[in-house]
Amino acid sequence: MSFIEYKGVHKAFAGKPVLRGMNLAIAKGEVMFIIGTSGVGKSVTIKHLIGLLRIDAGEIWFDGARVDQLPERKLAPLRRRIGMVFQSSTLFDSMSLVENVALPLRKHQRLDLRAARARAHELLEQVYMADYADRFPAELSDGMRKRAAIARTLALGPEVVLFDEPTTGLDPVSARRIDRLIRELADRLGVTAVVVSHDPPSIFGTADRVALLYQGTVHAVATPAELRASEDPIVQQFIQGRSAGPMETPGF
Amino acid sequence: MMFGEPIASIGAGARRVAQEVGGIVVMTGQVLRALVPPKLDTRELWKNLYKMGNKSVAIVVLTAAFAGGLMTLQTGPFVKKLGATSLAGWAAGYAVLREIGPILIALMFSGRVGANNTAELATMTVTEQLDGLRALAIDPVRFLIVPRVLAMIVMLVALTVIGDLVALLGASVVGHFMLHIDWSTMYFSFADNLRPTDFLHGVYKSFAFGGAIAVASCYFGVTVRGGAVGVGRAVNAAVVASAVSIMLLDFFITYLSA
Amino acid sequence: MRERITALGGGVLEAMRAARELWLTYVATIAGIVRFRRGGHRKGDIARQMYAIGNRSLVFIIVTLGFIGMVMTYEACLQLSRVTGDYSQIGSQFIRLIVSDFGPTLTGLMLATRVGAGIAAEIGSMKVTEQIDALRMSGVLPIDYLIVPRFLASLVMTLMLATLGGAVMYLAGGLTAHYSFNVNTSIFFDFQYLRMRHVILMIVKALAYGAAIPIVAGFCGLRARGSSEGVGWATTAAVIGASFSVIVLDFIISAAALFLTGGDL
Repeated sequence: MSFIEYKGVHKAFAGKPVLRGMNLAIAKGEVMFIIGTSGVGKSVTIKHLIGLLRIDAGEIWFDGARVDQLPERKLAPLRRRIGMVFQSSTLFDSMSLVENVALPLRKHQRLDLRAARARAHELLEQVYMADYADRFPAELSDGMRKRAAIARTLALGPEVVLFDEPTTGLDPVSARRIDRLIRELADRLGVTAVVVSHDPPSIFGTADRVALLYQGTVHAVATPAELRASEDPIVQQFIQGRSAGPMETPGF
Repeated sequence: MMFGEPIASIGAGARRVAQEVGGIVVMTGQVLRALVPPKLDTRELWKNLYKMGNKSVAIVVLTAAFAGGLMTLQTGPFVKKLGATSLAGWAAGYAVLREIGPILIALMFSGRVGANNTAELATMTVTEQLDGLRALAIDPVRFLIVPRVLAMIVMLVALTVIGDLVALLGASVVGHFMLHIDWSTMYFSFADNLRPTDFLHGVYKSFAFGGAIAVASCYFGVTVRGGAVGVGRAVNAAVVASAVSIMLLDFFITYLSA
Repeated sequence: MRERITALGGGVLEAMRAARELWLTYVATIAGIVRFRRGGHRKGDIARQMYAIGNRSLVFIIVTLGFIGMVMTYEACLQLSRVTGDYSQIGSQFIRLIVSDFGPTLTGLMLATRVGAGIAAEIGSMKVTEQIDALRMSGVLPIDYLIVPRFLASLVMTLMLATLGGAVMYLAGGLTAHYSFNVNTSIFFDFQYLRMRHVILMIVKALAYGAAIPIVAGFCGLRARGSSEGVGWATTAAVIGASFSVIVLDFIISAAALFLTGGDL
């Protein structure tokens, strides 16, 4: 069994099915990108892993244990091992960067204020944000907030980090910086990264493997090179970014 | 059929109210559970106490002064006509301490602090900060909600005490300058006729009001749906729910303590 | 220390500026009404606003004023039972207070929270989603289109709700006195002290509140900035501003009435 495994997962919102029997296996230490058109269920997929949403049917396994049925109270250990960086960076507006990053340290590792801030500084350095430690999120650009959010997620030393559209809305330079960070995390720290994205340079520059989500299931799973060479018309349409083709995009 | 529609909408409305009430009860349970044993973020508690107190002292003091003055305006002429000026303080003061003071101050508090709190929590929910907390395995109830609930209750009780005193002062000022009732007459009228139980009655009420405002404002903040529009609606709902709760609680407490 | 004074001074200046803008909003609204009469508008607007304000606040007002009427009567009877035991005056005095003050003012306070929050939330969300700018681009004045209908509707509805609320208060009070203290309903429901001046007071107060609430709330809504936080701020400010306006107006009108009638209310 793989490190992370989705088996036959179903999820519907207000009667509309989003995931229809989705299967995906993610190996330890790999960088897996989940791609697909808007609304196809990519963010929903990773949110299920840490229990922010509940599946309707199917199973989700992590490190040999089943996790989709854990009650909210029991999710804490899981959430310490799997971190998530949200699309809207979710830093707390009322705290400075270093206070933001120090928060999980103070809550979970019972470090006192000074030790927590010191460790927070180190983490901010890892994401190249140490100079802005005392600034507030509202004063910073999107790319900087995103990096600080990554630092906060790394605070508890998770084995897996989930990224929800990390480069969407960023300028190309910032986006490439984030890509490089994700790659560094996987290579240097052995973190397993699951990245939801529809940014082609990210996908082809960073991923070990790519899963294309289409109509509620994983339509194809392959390395970026294999995907490029694929003869499947749907895969080709997405990769080349064509508006015309066999792909059905509901809502357009 | 013509009658079907209004009845259906009343039914739907009633079901919505029942849902909200149910949700609020659940949240109250969560808050109480987090208090026994008390495990909450003290830094957040102090931060909120300071913030809420700061925001509301001015408006509460002003409101209380006006309310006290108003009561004297209403009862003063009547009392003077009967020649019972020694009762002037009692007439105004009694109503202020037991009813007008706690209710008005609670309404102002709900508008200033409660609405603000709902707006903050709603914005945090919409920008996924609440999910962010859960993803860091930090319980939003213990970290965000319980400190705010406690801070609001403590603050409202404190403000009611201060407000009551300011209201009595306002009553005296209006009595003196507009109805030509002596300072000393007012003072003795208060001292002779108002009892500590009257004062405490108002304080118990503010305790209950504070709890209701706090839970309602947190509940509607955290269950917000939609973006900016949803935030506005959440604040609206919180303020209305607080007002209704205040009136209902006032009623029950008055009946139960008699 | 110096910082405090500077901050206080700054606060006062800010308040004065806001007050001036508020007054301008009021003037613009009146101007808009004049234009309205001449221009002809979407007739449905005022009716829709009257529904939004009146119909949807109905249950709220009945419940809140009913309960408060019960509580006030209960407390008054309780006190009387300890002092004189004579309940003959309570009904007649109660109706005087309801008509001249509590009816319109409590209704005004309740509407300040409910309607004030609603208007500010609606207009505020429109502002932050740039719909107000879109209105301006289409050559429509936001004040005319948004605030004037609400203003007119609020004038009418506040008066109606104040009357209804007062009636509910009196009724609830009478029932409480009857069932808890055995006060005869014919003794309680006694209008002998009600004068024209009380009714005039009620109308003046209800109209004043009805005017103040949508102006304050609309003003706050139009000033919303940012995104969801801006809407939250606008709604909060509207509730506070409208509630406080009601209280201050009550005080001013009551004091003026006291002065004009030489202390005989």
